[in-house]
Amino acid sequence: MIVNVTNADWSAIAPTSIVAVTALVVLIADLLAPKHINRYAAIVIASIGIIVAGVIAYNQFRSGVNYGAFGGAFILGGFSTVFEEIILIAALGSIVLYSAIGREDRIAGAIALMLWSTSGAMLMAGAGNLMTIFLGLELLSLALYCLCGLADRPTSRESALKYLILSSMASGFLVYGMALLFGASGSVALADLTQPALATNPLFWMGAGMFFVGIAFKLSLVPFHAWSPDVYEGAPLPVTAYMSVATKAATLAVFARFMYAAIPSGIGDKLLLPIWILAAISMIVGNVGMLAQHDLKRLIAYSGIAQVGYILTALAGGTPLGLRYAIYYLAAYTFMNLGAFAVAALISGDREEGSRLANYRGLGRRHPAAAAFMTFFLLAMAGLPPTAGFLGKILILSTSVSAGYAWLGVILIVGTAISLYAYAKVIRAMYQRDEHAHVHEAKANVPLAWASAVVCFVLVIAMTFYPLTPSNVLPLVK
Amino acid sequence: MIVLALVLLPILAGIIMLLIPAREENPVLAKGAGTVIALIEFALALGARDSEFSLRPWLSRPFESSFHFGATGISFWIVLLLAVVTFSAILAMSVPRQRQFVAQMLLLEGTMMGVFLAKDLLLFALFWDLMLLPVFFGLLGWGEHPATAWRYFIYNFAGGLALLLATATFGVLFGSTDVIGRTDVHVVGSWVPWIFIGFAFAFLVKTPVWPLHTWMPPTYSNTPPPMVAVVSAVQSKAGLYGLIVICMAFMPDYLKAYAGVLIVLGVISLLYGAVVSLVQNDTKRIVAYSSLSHLGLIVVAICSFNAIALQGALIYIIAHGLFSAGMFLTLGYVEAREDTRSLVRLGGLGAVNPKLAGALCITSLAALGLPGLAGFVGEIVILTGVFQAGFIWVTILALIPIVIAAAYMLRLFQGVMNGPEVEDLPVRRDLTWLEGIALAPIVLALVVLGVNPHALTTFDPAQYNATQTQVAQGVAR
Repeated sequence: MIVNVTNADWSAIAPTSIVAVTALVVLIADLLAPKHINRYAAIVIASIGIIVAGVIAYNQFRSGVNYGAFGGAFILGGFSTVFEEIILIAALGSIVLYSAIGREDRIAGAIALMLWSTSGAMLMAGAGNLMTIFLGLELLSLALYCLCGLADRPTSRESALKYLILSSMASGFLVYGMALLFGASGSVALADLTQPALATNPLFWMGAGMFFVGIAFKLSLVPFHAWSPDVYEGAPLPVTAYMSVATKAATLAVFARFMYAAIPSGIGDKLLLPIWILAAISMIVGNVGMLAQHDLKRLIAYSGIAQVGYILTALAGGTPLGLRYAIYYLAAYTFMNLGAFAVAALISGDREEGSRLANYRGLGRRHPAAAAFMTFFLLAMAGLPPTAGFLGKILILSTSVSAGYAWLGVILIVGTAISLYAYAKVIRAMYQRDEHAHVHEAKANVPLAWASAVVCFVLVIAMTFYPLTPSNVLPLVK
Repeated sequence: MIVLALVLLPILAGIIMLLIPAREENPVLAKGAGTVIALIEFALALGARDSEFSLRPWLSRPFESSFHFGATGISFWIVLLLAVVTFSAILAMSVPRQRQFVAQMLLLEGTMMGVFLAKDLLLFALFWDLMLLPVFFGLLGWGEHPATAWRYFIYNFAGGLALLLATATFGVLFGSTDVIGRTDVHVVGSWVPWIFIGFAFAFLVKTPVWPLHTWMPPTYSNTPPPMVAVVSAVQSKAGLYGLIVICMAFMPDYLKAYAGVLIVLGVISLLYGAVVSLVQNDTKRIVAYSSLSHLGLIVVAICSFNAIALQGALIYIIAHGLFSAGMFLTLGYVEAREDTRSLVRLGGLGAVNPKLAGALCITSLAALGLPGLAGFVGEIVILTGVFQAGFIWVTILALIPIVIAAAYMLRLFQGVMNGPEVEDLPVRRDLTWLEGIALAPIVLALVVLGVNPHALTTFDPAQYNATQTQVAQGVAR
């Protein structure tokens, strides 16, 4: 098939390519700029690149265009641009954090890797065929393997290796599944997977099954979750922040596009039921797993496992409204997570022992403001008002009830109740009157981290009272 | 606008007070500011009767919801009670880190104002969860055993989650949550029993009712007196308020279907609370268990589906708020003077502290239902209504705890105030002016309501003949 590439195609992937090119510019600037300013050069260039990409994506979103670029390989539309925005926000937040606490001599490289990873995630958000999905995923993951190993500690290297091996295996599943799907449908385009004849084709079922295994791994759904706490714990803190949001957002975009637009009609309930069951198990196991954690990063990893379960609950049933609420919750999750990581960065920097919960003891006395922010973000994750976590849960519950998946809603409630105990454990540690805490202090006053914590705080509150959800996310294929 | 100010003023004041850097702690200034806010709140509450305010829509999908507040019907009286009790609690308190504590008190007042003024179920659920936080932090920061904070929070948050699920389902079924006080709300479908159970669970945990009460005695005995006065007087009423304006008004058939269960739980609470109260030695626990008993009576009254009983419930809600706040405050003053709450240690304080003894005397007499004070009116009206509704055995059973109440209240009063003076108890001065002023409105209100309960008319008598649902909707409206 010969595709005529037009200007419209290039402009469709403009945000993605701008991010990728920015990474190159960051590296070049690092070579050319004098030593004492190259740190700031990297940050400023990366931020400008991300903001430009974000503005373009926003204009694309506003224009309401729905266009299959490169012969349908990349589908520009409300859906892809919203996910791109979320991924860009995650990237910006993490880059800000990296520049606040990361190692100085590696900043340009780390930021470039993060930008490439971001462009991969953005490709996934708009992927219209199986090859683009894989391309984006590998770009995202390869950069992350390096980023995970960037800190000077054994756990960081362990984290990178673990992520590399396990994630490659998941990619194997994914690509094998894609091959089978291609074999069944004769096309790589997602849109062609809707042929009714596929519903009885065993190749399709096998392919979809393996595809979902790969997706479930990337989303760290139970029982494919075991890697995430270890990887999160060892990776540098800003990378963890990035991973906890961007990877999940990109994979959710792929999954949502698949389930909304690429399933032969009539078999969705049967095909997706295992995913909903995994989501239910994840909500329980993720929240129970949090109880046993003594490290903030691991705690947030488990919390992320459960939160993905919440988002899948919104998608269950496949209603357009459900998709909007899933995006709403994803955005809320992004800000809550970035906020929590920003505070964690403030408190302990990126030292290995810094994220231990023991380190948070008595924080209410030492840094009342940091403790208050951390409390806020943890309570937001638990879904207490007045936060977007609260409203997000209400919206998810209502959509799951009206879509006939009330049982998922009930499990969400049970999981939330369990999670509160775990979050409250951290809060208690912070406000405990314990003078003998063995504390690894770090710089407690990093303006950039403060700024991102405050921005996240404001957004999490504002989202509660102005609950905007994107209305033009459908259709998902062209 | 007034109702919005009622909610936002204390919340904003509390947040500002928390944000002030704590370099130079000025306890008196903090308390003064808190008292002024509480006074303004009281003035606003007085002027808020029947005012409504809708700020703007909140959600349009999946159900309609808006920022809608209103002080109509029963809300007005509870809000007034809240304003009075908060004023009294803040005025004469003395705790460490006073500024932060005053801030928590104000946050508590504001969030509870939100619960009782919300006309939208989603808003109600929002404030419902929010009002747990100040108490949680109060327990964490000032309680004797921080572990209690846990129990309080987990129990009540579990209830809050059930409420959330029920609210979401209600919204989906009915299409709007802007319903409190409306009379045209009928939800139908196979989901309604579950919605009802969700709401009822939240309300029964909050009230609390046996066997969901286990968080309550430790919470009440560990919370600092000013805060527990507000919690027991007003926060516990949120459950009863919800039963009336949500369960009874929108799902009367299901409340009727489950009324038997609720009445049994109410009667068990009534008896259990009274008996356990009789054997406690911790003064605050005595009042805590007596609350369990008294609130059980109100649950029975609501579930008996009788207009007179419901009227009695309203009177008793206010009366219990007044006398339990009065008792907790007075016992708090005793504790601050003698450094103990144990009846084993205390004794003979009445001789040197006549004013303190008088205050405890009036509040405990109101609690045991002495005619002439507000508690009696509530009890007698409830019992009349329950009897009229045909629950004769329930009425007879409910009489037993009233007798026991006399025993445990007198035991409490005698144990603290009468008897020989205990040698090694520190002798401190009697009730100060400030403490007297703090208690005055509560005692005054107990007497006024005792002799003139008609002051508390919440719905017009014409509705007495109507069905219970209409009455409930009248109450909410």
